[in-house]
Amino acid sequence: MSESPLLRFDQVGIHLGGREILSPTSFEVARGEFVCIIGPSGCGKTTLLRAAAGFLQPSGGAALRHGKPITGPSREVAFVFQDYGRALLPWRTVAGNISLALEAAGVPAQQRPDRIAKVLDTVGLGAHATKFPAQLSGGMQQRVQIARCLAQEPELMMMDEPFGALDAMTGESLQDEVSRLVRSTGLTVLFVTHDLEEAIYLSDRVIALRANPTADKPSLAAMVEVKIARPRDQLLTKEHPEFLRLRRELYGFLGHH
Amino acid sequence: MRTWPTLLRPWVFPLLLLALLEAAARWLVPGSDALAPPSQALQAFGKALSASGDESVLQATAFTLSSAALGLLLGAALGVTLGLVLGLSRRAAAMGFLSIEVLRPVPSVALIPLAMLVFGFGYRMEISVVAFATFWPLLILTQAAARQVEPQLLEVAHALGLSAWARTTQIVLPAMVPRLFIALRLGVSFALVVAVTVEIAANPSGMGYAMMIAQQSLAPDLMLAWLAWIGLVGFAINALTLRLQRAIAHRMGEPHTGVAP
Repeated sequence: MSESPLLRFDQVGIHLGGREILSPTSFEVARGEFVCIIGPSGCGKTTLLRAAAGFLQPSGGAALRHGKPITGPSREVAFVFQDYGRALLPWRTVAGNISLALEAAGVPAQQRPDRIAKVLDTVGLGAHATKFPAQLSGGMQQRVQIARCLAQEPELMMMDEPFGALDAMTGESLQDEVSRLVRSTGLTVLFVTHDLEEAIYLSDRVIALRANPTADKPSLAAMVEVKIARPRDQLLTKEHPEFLRLRRELYGFLGHH
Repeated sequence: MRTWPTLLRPWVFPLLLLALLEAAARWLVPGSDALAPPSQALQAFGKALSASGDESVLQATAFTLSSAALGLLLGAALGVTLGLVLGLSRRAAAMGFLSIEVLRPVPSVALIPLAMLVFGFGYRMEISVVAFATFWPLLILTQAAARQVEPQLLEVAHALGLSAWARTTQIVLPAMVPRLFIALRLGVSFALVVAVTVEIAANPSGMGYAMMIAQQSLAPDLMLAWLAWIGLVGFAINALTLRLQRAIAHRMGEPHTGVAP
């Protein structure tokens, strides 16, 4: 049992190019939690995620992982980029792209094929190991990226609007797949999206951010628990009274007035 | 389906042009010192094929091509290495900027007198001028290629915790390959142009020199034969590099487009 939470933001503020992107914001993410960050474009949700991943340093406050300041990227933290097309190496096959994570982690060459096969099976790409990314659909490319992150065996997975560029059908099936993966691995996820239904459907907790924070209207607009039983179902969960209540409660924070 | 008429289509225009040239040389300006009918040029070329020494087609072609190839190899090795350093390090780019901008505009053929003084006639002088000429475009294009590596790929490398060495060999260099090939193809055509130019201007060897000899001995048929041969050799080399480029692009997972650049 670790005493400090897996991730903790303590009054973290971020300025970029002289503009306040994120006003001082505090929250915690416990091990095994699925937390979605939602907000209108320009509210700093991706910036917050990048700070949590160690890609950028906060201008004020402290971003802590296991109670220690986050100074840079770590192998314990995987990052799924929205633009899968630019996050995969086009010159490597699906297996080669997964291998990159194992090479970086120093996994001996003879152990790699088994581990690659295992994660590819987990995301349902077992039959596509020798294909190049350009031969796959968008949804499959995003699965490759998720598989690469799983191969890293992280404790925390950051996902930056991972399904934003996919069609609704593909997005929904990937939502269910990620939910299933997270349940079976006990992974902790910080997930950024601008899709309110996606956020509620996936999360244990939703953090809503607002754009253009001011003194009396800070970045953190709302934080709500989602107490809907798992496994969830695309039809039943989205008709659940609690789902509808949360949807109504959070709707206003996304620029709808 | 490719049928015979479509396969023949690209040949229509060149054949028409040859026929026109043949007619013009035979009936408009018969006995000209500048023009000869293609049929006579072909005969002259046949004779040159069996000739020996400076007029031997094989020997002259081998000289020009090996000088161009060695010069390009030298220019590319230096240009790509330095371009990589300048492309990856802002500090190195700032240090090198002035020297590059002062030296780069010097026309490579302006170096022929200096190269002659230093190396005399022969291989070394031609190689050095070709190397100088190809060094600059390869340097500039490699530098640009290194800077244009998809930044998100570098973030992926960062997130995965790749070492600096692995980042360079596994991400930066492979990501540069398509652009490096464009630079290489430019270098190949540069190398051939400069090699022939050096031979026309100074070096008494190779295809350029053979063409000059034909011109000076008032043999327009042989001169035109050399001109056509140089064009053919250039075409063949360009086609070869294009095939190599496609084969490598295919191996690197690029979908086959079938469109010639």
